[in-house]
Amino acid sequence: MRNPARTPFGVIFQNEVLLNSKRVALYALMIFFSSNAVLWTSAAIHYGWAINSDFYIARNYGGFAFGILGLPLFAAVIMADPVIRDFRLGVDPLIFSKPISRAQYLLGKFFGSFFVLACCQAAFGLTMLLLQVLHTPRMLVLPFRVFPYFKHFFLVVVVSYLLFAAVYFTLGTLMRNAKIVYGLALIYYPLYIAWQVVILKRLPPRWHIVLDPLLFNVGPARPFERSPDYLNNFVVSYTPGMLANRLLVILAAVACLTILYLRFAITERSGNAEKISVLNLSTGAAGFYYDPPRIEPALQDHFEEHEKVLLPEVSRSHAGISANVNQLIAALGVELRLLLSERSLIVIMPLAIVFSTLDVAFWSVAPEPSFSAAYAGHTANATLLFLLGITIFYSVEALHRDRELKIEPLLWSQAAPNYALLLSKVLATLVLTIGLIVLVGVVTIALQVLKHNGPVELSAYLRIYGTILIPNAIFLAAAIMALSVLLRDRYLTYTVAIGTCAGLFYLYSQGHHGWLYNPMLVQVWTYSDLAGGSRFAQILAQRIHLMAGALAGLSLAHLFWRRPSNRGLLTHSRLTSSGWSVAALLVFLTVAFTVGLMVGL
Amino acid sequence: MLEIQKLTKTYSSGVQALREISLDVPNGMFGLLGPNGAGKTTLMKILATLLEPDSGMAAMNGIDLIGDKESTRKMIGYLPQEFGLYPTLTAEQTLHYFAKLKGVHDKKDRGALVDALFERVNLAGARRQRVGGFSGGMRQRLGVAQALIGQPQLIIVDEPTAGLDPEERLRFHNLLAETVSENAVVILSTHIVSDVSSLCSRMAIIREGQILASVTPRQAMNELAGSVWEASVSREKASALKSRCQVLSSQMFDGLARMRVISRGERPSEEFNPATPILEDYYFEVVNQREQSS
Repeated sequence: MRNPARTPFGVIFQNEVLLNSKRVALYALMIFFSSNAVLWTSAAIHYGWAINSDFYIARNYGGFAFGILGLPLFAAVIMADPVIRDFRLGVDPLIFSKPISRAQYLLGKFFGSFFVLACCQAAFGLTMLLLQVLHTPRMLVLPFRVFPYFKHFFLVVVVSYLLFAAVYFTLGTLMRNAKIVYGLALIYYPLYIAWQVVILKRLPPRWHIVLDPLLFNVGPARPFERSPDYLNNFVVSYTPGMLANRLLVILAAVACLTILYLRFAITERSGNAEKISVLNLSTGAAGFYYDPPRIEPALQDHFEEHEKVLLPEVSRSHAGISANVNQLIAALGVELRLLLSERSLIVIMPLAIVFSTLDVAFWSVAPEPSFSAAYAGHTANATLLFLLGITIFYSVEALHRDRELKIEPLLWSQAAPNYALLLSKVLATLVLTIGLIVLVGVVTIALQVLKHNGPVELSAYLRIYGTILIPNAIFLAAAIMALSVLLRDRYLTYTVAIGTCAGLFYLYSQGHHGWLYNPMLVQVWTYSDLAGGSRFAQILAQRIHLMAGALAGLSLAHLFWRRPSNRGLLTHSRLTSSGWSVAALLVFLTVAFTVGLMVGL
Repeated sequence: MLEIQKLTKTYSSGVQALREISLDVPNGMFGLLGPNGAGKTTLMKILATLLEPDSGMAAMNGIDLIGDKESTRKMIGYLPQEFGLYPTLTAEQTLHYFAKLKGVHDKKDRGALVDALFERVNLAGARRQRVGGFSGGMRQRLGVAQALIGQPQLIIVDEPTAGLDPEERLRFHNLLAETVSENAVVILSTHIVSDVSSLCSRMAIIREGQILASVTPRQAMNELAGSVWEASVSREKASALKSRCQVLSSQMFDGLARMRVISRGERPSEEFNPATPILEDYYFEVVNQREQSS
């Protein structure tokens, strides 16, 4: 029998695992999952649950699969681009010219990446398993067990994510655009909640179980009303309905991959050149290349001598603020043009608007203290998630685009200052997110009018969006840019950014809202605070602190940007680019620190 | 004039790309000839302010290219070996963008400059096309156009013709020849001998991070005058001759080995006839000498 590892499928599978094993981001992801598995035991200690009870294991896997830690987004990062990467790097002709079928290629890529995803997820489960041995005295532990960890991991996490992986992989491969997949992952949360609330809730309980793609309700109903003893002895069993659900999910994944197989072409698309335009002039020849000069006289006949075109003398200006502002505007114009040509925006922007306003569109809104304040408040909270996602993905992409397109050498050899090239990317993302805020505001006002919940108070919208959302958008754009510059690796940046946000939102959901680790003021303000209430001054000071932090982040990004700059902090008794960065960093850190102390952080 | 002194660069992988390179490059077209991996691109990147050397100095008209990158960027034009362009922008938008980054802010001036550049690189008909749809040759010409913006004093062109078809290469040679002015240095790195022989008034040979020779093409030819011999012999005889003669190159043609050897003063054997030296002979002679001495 042929060794499976030596089949084309096996070789592609192994290569995919090898490629992924070199991505630092995945190790960061494993550490993040492991640390959360430890962190989550605080709930078990609090409620008296045993950390290896069937109930606890299944419950944790359920929350993990639902995406409390941003798992759907991480899955999108891993599954979206295995094939796109081959096309981007130009490896595709080398692979497709070998005796390999479409199915072998696609399945090798899919299962290789899915295996890596499952390994990352397994870090969470393995840590839970190890906690049985390495637990603290406060943790309640039942006799050592292994099987439930694997059983629930396979049925709750692996099978659910088989569908996620298949959808992401299919979409990424067919669209050849990872950002569309990231957008889809971003809207997963509202989409899943809408599916639960709008569709499943109205169906009989049996269908509720069969049609839930995550099998979220595995385990006892209303656990918080049960005693710890009951829960610790509870055995989670899989009913025929649940098993049918798992089968349905696997079939859906197979259907997805079948569609991909039927639609995928290994031949180059005519429009592909526009997506990835990289000119590689290296011949790859190791030796010395000599082209006989005798070819040339023969060719000379084809060309008519033409008159040399003289280039006009032009005035150039590099010095002064106005010259640099002009360069910044030019760079911003190009960044915006590139951003607007992103196909993913056509999907993401409308969806972001729809899901940000879903709450006020379909549910009744209490006029607390006024309809406008309530409408603006609801949509501000919902929009924050999209601000986060859009900023993370488009900032990181903007920073790495130049390297990916190999345009960096051309840009970096120009006499434009670092801040013009860097700030243009931040501002472009900011224009996008502020555009989203404005559009959400307009749609919300329209909904308020349509639902006859007048009068419309523009001041309420301006107050909430202007005080909460816009400073948050500025902070996010600056923070993500700083992170991208410091970490350099695109996927590591995604992992750290999404992981940090997921960890923080988990803390907020557990009632920890300390201002020190809640820079975006999630769930800590009311409209009356913003309308001149007793905490208004404190909130305003926190916003100043946030802006100073954002500017410090930008200074840090400017200082550590990879483009080589003049050495030292001073040259000819003047501050260099790095010198300005350090000075600005110190000033903004001082402001942030001082105001932070005033706010009581 | 460009002066390079004891430039050294070792990458973190341990590869020593440049070993105390020193060169004086006068105004005009200067060819830097060497095989892949010789250190040409490293040197070009250092001159283009994109890479920090470990030590050494490079200066152009009194400006320190290593220490004062901001001033350097105002006076260089750079065409890298591998580069991309924003595929969704048109050629015109691309050139306007680079012109603005180079400090050409006056709209009228910029328009006239861009028009002239399109004429110069023969892309006037394609100026409103997206560069994503350009052929390799068209993109390369657009690359030259952006390098010419703003009357650069130092034009750095790294492996510009590799990967181009012969027709496009010839067009590109003509274009490069037109860029030469009395007030600018054009430094052209290549591994293609005919690029240097067609275009450059001076050249240097670089190998394993060291400059082996710096001459004019004519000096190189003169040095080998009367010393190069050519013969077409059977494969077996070729093996025997290789041990006796200093072989410059050997190529199979029509079942026979066409050998070029160097022999000063006397005919190496009766099969050989005198041959006119070409630049390739000089390259191999220099490289062979180097290998023998090391």
